[in-house]
Amino acid sequence: MSRQSMRANDPKKVSGELFTLTYGSLVAQLLKDYENVDDVNRQLERMGYNIGMRLIEDFLARANPGRCYDLRDTADKIQQAFKLYLGVSPSIGSWSPGGDEFSVVMETNPMAEFVELPEHCLGLRYSNILSGVIRGACEMVQLEVMAWFIADQLKGDNMTEIRVKFVKRLEDAIPAGED
Amino acid sequence: MAVCVSVIGKENSPLYVWVGSGREELHLHYLAHTGLDVIQEKITSVTKTPGDTRDLYLGLLYATEEYKVFGYTTNTRIKFVIITDAANTTLRDNEIRMMFRRLHSLYTNVVCNPFYIPGHQISSREFDKGVAALVAGN
Amino acid sequence: MAEETVFDFIHMEAVSYVFQGEKVSEDEAVSKLEHMGFATGYRLVERLTRESGRYKDELDIMKYICKDLWVTVYKKQIDNLRTNHQGVYVLHDNRFRLLTHMANGKQYLQYAPRYLAFTCGLVRGCLANLGVTCVVTAEVTHLPACKFQIQVQRG
Repeated sequence: MSRQSMRANDPKKVSGELFTLTYGSLVAQLLKDYENVDDVNRQLERMGYNIGMRLIEDFLARANPGRCYDLRDTADKIQQAFKLYLGVSPSIGSWSPGGDEFSVVMETNPMAEFVELPEHCLGLRYSNILSGVIRGACEMVQLEVMAWFIADQLKGDNMTEIRVKFVKRLEDAIPAGED
Repeated sequence: MAVCVSVIGKENSPLYVWVGSGREELHLHYLAHTGLDVIQEKITSVTKTPGDTRDLYLGLLYATEEYKVFGYTTNTRIKFVIITDAANTTLRDNEIRMMFRRLHSLYTNVVCNPFYIPGHQISSREFDKGVAALVAGN
Repeated sequence: MAEETVFDFIHMEAVSYVFQGEKVSEDEAVSKLEHMGFATGYRLVERLTRESGRYKDELDIMKYICKDLWVTVYKKQIDNLRTNHQGVYVLHDNRFRLLTHMANGKQYLQYAPRYLAFTCGLVRGCLANLGVTCVVTAEVTHLPACKFQIQVQRG
């Protein structure tokens, strides 16, 4: 029995499913804990932020990506990270004329696999943790960004799209006593 | 041609029933439910004999003049029943087995939706689409 | 492997989440984690057992948990399974993956149960879906080793 099931279950794929299912359980728990969906969205973003701040270390160690000189470099790294951690290859596009905003577009979102949003949850940004991860990770490399979902296949859109906007570069903290 | 597809839960309550249009719904529900007894028999008898097949597909449960009733069970005590016309010659046993496997896949997808409460009625657009494709022979 | 990493991060963040806030009780927080684990295990086993043949009996199922499930989730088998053949099973993991991040030391031991709650629920959820109702508890023996005790509820 063991050998039969091991062959059929590709370990990589199942790990991904474990993650998807765990995330689903987490979202379900948050929906129980908070009365309104906006609070859940916020909480997910915050959790993502916490994760992003630590995930960046892991990413830098694994991918050894080198420095980011501009936002385009950052966008490339984000693309790499999605591939590494979620196993998807999003496309980067829809750059703003000023080059300070772009979109991360996924044709499939592994976090939302099997999910069908019920009627009372249409305001839920199911994968909002990703917005937070992007924000947290960028902050650790001295970039303040905003990230938010502008399209979601769970809501009937063709693609799932996260918009990322550069706010400012974070200078290293100036020691007290200096101007 | 499949005329009825049914998903029955652990406590033997129906979670989902599809009946082909123009067919006698109540009668088919009844036949599907009767199939449960046969499924129960098959499961218990198999665990008693050594060298059992351990197959999830249970094959033909029974047949009436008009219909043939096929069954399948999962390790998680969910039962699927597919009913075809007795006169059906186009669907071979192997094809029916494949239909069950697809149905099983569709079912596990529903369970993996964090918003689905196990044991409740299945109301999923994806599941509906999947069953429609299944019975259309696609 | 990166796939495990994302699970680890979500798990850790879930633990932080349930314990945030000053008024939260340990029991309440642990119970939430257990519940999340239950929901996850229940669903996971639905997928995982699609390919395997039908299980013969309770012991068969426990072995499945120790081998297949543990390898799938924690990349290793349970190191030791003991049973009294009367519904109690004890699973020993000498190097439980979710505890390896914790430094060894008495002052950390009190926090270890937080990192076991989800898994207790996971096991309970898997078993529940396979028709085995039980209570699952866990104990750290010596970081990062721990044991999970499954008490099957009969009747």
